[in-house]
Amino acid sequence: MSSLYDFLETNSLYIVLLIVLIIWVGIFGYLRSLDKKIKKLEEK
Amino acid sequence: MKNFITYAIFVIISAVIILGLALPIPDIPALGDKARVLYFHVPMSWISVLAFFMSMWYSIRYLKTRDHNYDIKSYSSAQLGFLFCILATATGSLWAKFSWGSFWNWDPRQTSIFILLLIYGAYFALRSAIESEDQRAKLSSVYSIIAAVTVPFFVFIMPRIVESLHPDPILNTQGKINMDSSMLTVFLSALVGFTMLYLWMLDLKIRAEKLNYKKLSLTD
Repeated sequence: MSSLYDFLETNSLYIVLLIVLIIWVGIFGYLRSLDKKIKKLEEK
Repeated sequence: MKNFITYAIFVIISAVIILGLALPIPDIPALGDKARVLYFHVPMSWISVLAFFMSMWYSIRYLKTRDHNYDIKSYSSAQLGFLFCILATATGSLWAKFSWGSFWNWDPRQTSIFILLLIYGAYFALRSAIESEDQRAKLSSVYSIIAAVTVPFFVFIMPRIVESLHPDPILNTQGKINMDSSMLTVFLSALVGFTMLYLWMLDLKIRAEKLNYKKLSLTD
């Protein structure tokens, strides 16, 4: 674990990568849930 | 939209993020690692142009058929175009801070995108100012067509005829793409992935607007 920390500390680009990836997963999850909600409303 | 398409969008954009940031890129003078912004900034700009043109297309369809669904589609596409235009401006401006020294310096590129944002901002102001549904749809459709006509001028022509600090466009004046093959692959995947994302978001927006329209017409 400490080696991963050292790696990330010297390669800040990978921290950016992780942050962007987390944001993208969040946006994708939100859009999926929105899609489901709209489908439910359409069926009503 | 089909489930597998949404998962494909997830995979493509995740791959673009991972490969775009992790793959080594050739040393580009004065840009270095900052060149990676092109995987995100250019697709945002491309989608805003696409969305504005789609909005124009739906406006033309509305004026021909007077079908309100087209007005909803035109409005939804213009909204997404505006959102992606803001994202293109923000990513460009952040990049400018680290390459040119300040977030905003009225470079021809920045000025033209700013004017474009003002033009579409006026479109939303126009829509919100008219109460009558038919009148709103008619006027905003005409406005959307006129606004979209200015898009190629502000995005493609003006920055090319005025001296700008902005790096050479992807498709430069010689009509050639000067890009390393791995960079080009990631870049093209980014274009495809973000375009699919835009189409998905447009689909969601249109469906939500239609539900809203139905609800409003039921309460009237």
